[in-house]
Amino acid sequence: MDSLPNGTATTATATPAAPTAPAPAPPSSRLGHLGESLKLEHQFLRVPFEHYKKTIRANHRVVEKEVSAVICGVSDDSDVSNDDAVHHLSSLVSRLQGLKRKLEEGSRTENLQAQRCRARLDHLESADAENLSDWNNMRLKRILVDYMLRMSYYDTAAKLAESSNIQDLVDIDVFQEAKKVIDALQNKEVAPALVWCADNKSRLKKSKSKFEFQLRLQEFIELVRAENNLRAITYARKYLAPWGASHMKELQRVMATLAFRSNTECTTYKVLFESKQWDFLVDQFKQEFCKLYGMTLEPLLNIYLQAGLSALKTPYCYEDDCTKEDPLSQESFRKLALPLPYSKQHHSKLVCYITKELMDTENPPQVLPNGYVYSAKALEEMAKKNNGKITCPRTGLVCNYSELVKAYIS
Amino acid sequence: MELDIIKDAFDRISKKQKLSSSKSQEVIDLVGLEVEQALGKIQSAHDLASPVDQKSILTDLKLKLNAIGPLHQLEGSQKELNINLSKYQKLLEKFLNPDISKAYRNVDFDFHIVNQIVAAHFYRQGLFDLGDSLLNEAGEPEATALKSQFLDLHQIIGAARVRNLEPALKWACTNREKLKQNSSNLELKLHRLQFVEILQKGTRTDALNYARAYLTPFASLHMDEIQKLMACLLWAGRLDSSPYHEMTSPTHWDNLTEELTQEFCSLLGQSYVSPLSVAIAAGVEGLPTLLKLANVMSAKKQEWLAMKQLPVPVELGKEFQFHSIFVCPVSRDQGSEENPPMLMPCLHVLCKQSIMKLSKSSTRTFKCPYCPAEVSVAQCRQLYF
Ligand SMILES: [Zn+2]
Repeated sequence: MDSLPNGTATTATATPAAPTAPAPAPPSSRLGHLGESLKLEHQFLRVPFEHYKKTIRANHRVVEKEVSAVICGVSDDSDVSNDDAVHHLSSLVSRLQGLKRKLEEGSRTENLQAQRCRARLDHLESADAENLSDWNNMRLKRILVDYMLRMSYYDTAAKLAESSNIQDLVDIDVFQEAKKVIDALQNKEVAPALVWCADNKSRLKKSKSKFEFQLRLQEFIELVRAENNLRAITYARKYLAPWGASHMKELQRVMATLAFRSNTECTTYKVLFESKQWDFLVDQFKQEFCKLYGMTLEPLLNIYLQAGLSALKTPYCYEDDCTKEDPLSQESFRKLALPLPYSKQHHSKLVCYITKELMDTENPPQVLPNGYVYSAKALEEMAKKNNGKITCPRTGLVCNYSELVKAYIS
Repeated sequence: MELDIIKDAFDRISKKQKLSSSKSQEVIDLVGLEVEQALGKIQSAHDLASPVDQKSILTDLKLKLNAIGPLHQLEGSQKELNINLSKYQKLLEKFLNPDISKAYRNVDFDFHIVNQIVAAHFYRQGLFDLGDSLLNEAGEPEATALKSQFLDLHQIIGAARVRNLEPALKWACTNREKLKQNSSNLELKLHRLQFVEILQKGTRTDALNYARAYLTPFASLHMDEIQKLMACLLWAGRLDSSPYHEMTSPTHWDNLTEELTQEFCSLLGQSYVSPLSVAIAAGVEGLPTLLKLANVMSAKKQEWLAMKQLPVPVELGKEFQFHSIFVCPVSRDQGSEENPPMLMPCLHVLCKQSIMKLSKSSTRTFKCPYCPAEVSVAQCRQLYF
């Protein structure tokens, strides 16, 4: 026979089990952990809520503004001609009709966002012992989408969300708003960022944000760079002076650039003209943006990864014979864990060298005459296969099963 | 967690939101109606060409609009909504942890490495387009290290899913020696599945030829298995109603895919479960404890940053135990090369330093802290986990 016969496809029995199978179903003691881990999901509920709130406020502002405009528009000035009065009132009527349409549109958005908030509550509620491994897989995907959105890998984020059907559980649309501003800042344009500041004026003020000031400083610097000195001064009067009371030092430093100009060698001022100032503005914006939406400043992935590596890190992880199942056997994870502290144990945790299973009262540790310890399970099996002979896999020592003693580890 | 309370609070919000929306509609309608009526009056007066008191109509309209008090009405409904909104936010902050980054250390967390880890995670799951897309967006084209290997794996598994074992067998054959070192009999298992498949679908001669060509090399090591398989020849074509019907169970295929993946990853020097999944799962379990710790230490930022070992244990499930860690029950010290675990003749285990202390530097015998046994240092021996 030259070639192997191909088995004919029988689709009915081919189950699409993922090749990288998730961890086996956890025992019920895990439900305590589950409750604790749900408490970590503040951002998951908060972000769509902030979005919803924002829409509600914006819609309300539009209604308020338009209605008061209409009311103020009614005047009983006597010297208005009849035609003008008719024309004016008609325009008010159509203005109100326009507002009504806008309001309907706005309510639809509000309802969609309310649905999203509810979908997330339902999702948290749906986690239980039966679906925990699927639920955990989905959480990892959510965390990855969050990471990619914050890193501006929007396409991949959208692809992952779509292919996993978790669009309601991730914040792609919220980050669309950020994308516009970030893209512009990367192109050295401040206008969208300033619009964003205006939209969120009261909240930024509340958190004492000076992001707008920083944007204005940068615009000023650009005018100085272009040697547009008169405009720079006018600009400073209008947009920088109001910040003088709270940020006089920075204001003075930037104003001094008028004297030094962009080719200055003086390091205090030179740095203000460097293009990394724009990167700094992008970072600053990301922080303000995250704060406003109640997000953590760091990507969730970094937070969980760092916590996990801290909890997993032991001196043994960095040894050559570290098991491959330990993420810290991999160079990349080791590097990330390097600045983190080691974990601590209050009680012995013994893992059988042969079976990699935990040794406990059910599967107690047994000691060979040379002091090497393996699990009872592993040694029993070995003895069964080899007529009661035990071979130490690490030293090659051969002994009888009867020579083993059980060790009591408390 | 009090999800029910949170859900109720949210329901109240969305009720108030709907109420507020309909209030706005109502106010707009009312204002609109008045304006339209006034407009009608002015128009009809105009049509009649009679001298109309346009001014009085407009003054009247103004009065009526004032009487409606539209802005006041809008404000009222919005106020109720706002109260519920801030209540909800407070509930979230009360029942959930509003800042899980409190335990985060602002250390160098190289995002290039993180990108590579994430891409490798996608590749190992067979999500090749996602891995490529990420590396492309992140501008890290050189990080595709594991891609080709996992492409191979997913081709092999994809074929096995439609019961084509050829790629799997090819791989097993190429890696025969390494599999043997892992004491894996994967190749035999593959041939067995193939053989059973032929028995069910092909002719007896095909099966016999297959057995001669591919099963006999395993005869010396796996005689029982081979004998059983050869006996199956008697039931060629009707294996499912034979004493060996168990062999036709589809679970063999599922198990095989799993074992194949395991061996493949093992030969690659990779773990079976994605290391990213493991690390994140450990993070989810460990973070609550770390956050409590960070909270307690919030006044001692320097100490927090400088610590070489966490001051408290972070309990993780047993799937995260990869190393034997001995903790002396007397001193609570972790065992190490300098301070190894020692087995006493009573079979209790302490660390060397504790034994030295109890024996006053081996100058006397001592009583085991856990049983009445008298112990001398000479009787103790080092353990290796
Ligand atoms: Zn004892």
